[in-house]
Amino acid sequence: MARPIPAWLAPTSLEEALELRARYGEEATVVAGGTFVGILINQGLLQPAALLTLRQIAELAYLRVEDASASGKPLLRIGAMTTHRALERSPLVQRGWPVLASTFALVASPRVRNQATVGGVLADADYASDPPALLHALGASVVARSPQGQRLISVEELIVGHYETSLRPDELLTEIQVPGGIEGAVYRKFRSRSSEDRPCVAVAAVRREGRLRVTVGAVAERPQYFPEICALAEGQAGIDAELAREIGERYAAAIEPLSDARGSAHYRRRVIAVEVRRALEDLHQQIIATGGGSQRHV
Amino acid sequence: MAAMEIHFTLNGQPVAVQAEPDEMLLEVLRRELGLRSVRETCGLGICGACTALLNGQPISTCILLAPLAEGCEITTVEGLGGHHPVQRAFEEVQAFQCGYCTPGMILTIKALLEEQPAPDEETIRRALGGNLCRCGCYLKIVQAAQRAAALLAEERRRQPGPGAAPVS
Repeated sequence: MARPIPAWLAPTSLEEALELRARYGEEATVVAGGTFVGILINQGLLQPAALLTLRQIAELAYLRVEDASASGKPLLRIGAMTTHRALERSPLVQRGWPVLASTFALVASPRVRNQATVGGVLADADYASDPPALLHALGASVVARSPQGQRLISVEELIVGHYETSLRPDELLTEIQVPGGIEGAVYRKFRSRSSEDRPCVAVAAVRREGRLRVTVGAVAERPQYFPEICALAEGQAGIDAELAREIGERYAAAIEPLSDARGSAHYRRRVIAVEVRRALEDLHQQIIATGGGSQRHV
Repeated sequence: MAAMEIHFTLNGQPVAVQAEPDEMLLEVLRRELGLRSVRETCGLGICGACTALLNGQPISTCILLAPLAEGCEITTVEGLGGHHPVQRAFEEVQAFQCGYCTPGMILTIKALLEEQPAPDEETIRRALGGNLCRCGCYLKIVQAAQRAAALLAEERRRQPGPGAAPVS
């Protein structure tokens, strides 16, 4: 008979964590901040055989800016165990990626943000979380490590469905990379119930190197992005009211929204058109205010 | 799951308790340590009735796996002693009716005032956004936070010393 798995695995180094992850795979549920796993267990939705916590791995909590030599643009590197609060309060992030700081400050309550981590929220792939849509629009990637090595996965390719990622059973998400060179970025969180609730419709709109990227979150099983619709803004200095309205309507028509307690599919479709338009109007104002340059964003 | 021993500092005292690895800190605080100020209500980390401070920062004990408290400093309202300026402010202003949410409110305000000694009303409301009061005492609770800030400022003036300067 196989020896049972120790129920609580608390490695203190990444190397040890990777070894345990490779050995136990999905038999051991990975715990980052523990808010999502905590809720699932508390609600009787998850009965893990074992828990693998990354909490004691100090080397996974960091925020660093690096000059990416290839593009000449700075790159924000976020250790997977960095908490939402640490990101939101970091002067480095507030200065260089203000939209990240302000968006993470919108998540749930200070209590949840003190616990929840940036790596955790991506690995959960919960459709109703705020950060995935923004990180998707920012063109962020994650580093997935295993004992065999590491690979870089874009957030777009990471989140494949409802609570489903493309991480392999022997991989751990160890870092999030957010490129700089942003000309403008906004995140709009439309809540249909209370201020600390998750979004009913979330819209992230980012312009980088003259390209527009609009990602709509919380409306389908994964973040929704339509490059062919965003291409309508190609070659334009700004986004005028007519274009903002058109992109909003096209997004609303392209998305198959889901229904949940925060809104029906029908309701969401109407809100998407409005919120995408408003996000693009906000983005336009921001680009005008900064002269299309990168005053606020590095 | 097989029980394990976890160690942390509770209200300034080191403790060692038995807990299941998939058990929440809330259960351990109530069952093993007899603390009744942490209260499970929503069980989803939304309402704030189970608030404790972990290394000085508010967290929801109803969704914190107990072993994650290993090596941490946990503070509940019992650890404030009853005469903490935030507690005095709640009494003065009478910022409660049934008192069920009060421990969570007090701890959240304590942590806020340590970070921002003179928050404006908007900041207070944001900090308390995740603490629900079903008696609806919000106006008084905000007033209590403002009164607590004044009491703490008074205390700092009377006892100037290292670390007494406001951190802005």
